[in-house]
Amino acid sequence: MKKKILIFPSILFFLVLSIFFYLLTIERNPYEIPSNLLNKKVPIFEARSLFKNEKFISSDEFKNGITLVNFFATWCKPCRDEHVYMKSFSNEKSVNVIGINYKDNPEKTVKWLKDLGNPYKDVLIDKNGKIAIDWGVYGIPETFIINSNGIVKYRHVGPVTNVIYKKINLIIKQNE
Amino acid sequence: MNRSILIKFILIITTICLTDLITNSSYAVEPDEILKNQKYELRARNISKNIRCMVCQNQSIDESSAPLAKDLRILIRDKIKEGNKDEEIYKFLTDRYGDFILLKPPLNSKNLILWFFPFIFLILGIYVVFYHNKKSG
Repeated sequence: MKKKILIFPSILFFLVLSIFFYLLTIERNPYEIPSNLLNKKVPIFEARSLFKNEKFISSDEFKNGITLVNFFATWCKPCRDEHVYMKSFSNEKSVNVIGINYKDNPEKTVKWLKDLGNPYKDVLIDKNGKIAIDWGVYGIPETFIINSNGIVKYRHVGPVTNVIYKKINLIIKQNE
Repeated sequence: MNRSILIKFILIITTICLTDLITNSSYAVEPDEILKNQKYELRARNISKNIRCMVCQNQSIDESSAPLAKDLRILIRDKIKEGNKDEEIYKFLTDRYGDFILLKPPLNSKNLILWFFPFIFLILGIYVVFYHNKKSG
């Protein structure tokens, strides 16, 4: 009977242990906070464009195909690191790449994009970080994938690496 | 000799307690952020104390000097000035950052297990210990 009573806690203990072990083996970043926007409509916002004279109104956009939204700044080193991947995304016909320039100097941004190449179809100015708050951004660079219905399908916090680039491409293909 | 050691000990303990008190009560609100209306400012401070800094994660935005914490403090004050209720401000923030932004997450269907698991384990543990003792006794 003594042995019998110990069976249940032992099973429970190993069950909990295996859950912890599983969480250690899968690819996940425990520090990354899941986005509250996932599977929801993109936030409604208006922004000034860095290169165009017209205003960007979110409710009018995000309807024509898949959009990749990238929050970046010239003062952010990881943004420079991931820039090469943004250029790769811009070469794909099915994706519209939009950059949101976070708390930055517009002149510096123009020069930065001139030097490194401009992968963005449009660059929106987020002077005081309010657009970033609407998107639940907490650490740039951050990248979002929006499907043709204007629904947020993926968010990545931090620079896009080769692994993330492949992952995003897979998500794009799934949403095409 | 013993008395001087005791006085030194009391002094050290007092210093530690005071330091802890000062650091715990410190806040990051800058003078230009403070609202003239004291009622509004008090409301903003109370909300800020319940909002997690998403950058540092273990501090409230009231204590954090991170730029995002400052942006959120300003946003809360703007919302109060616009006439928003506290609940509306909390909803605005949780809609964007999820319940994680609240330092005291609410009890809901998503985190029900998290709230009740410790109690379930406690009851199970008590049952096993009592049953085991009863049998061995």
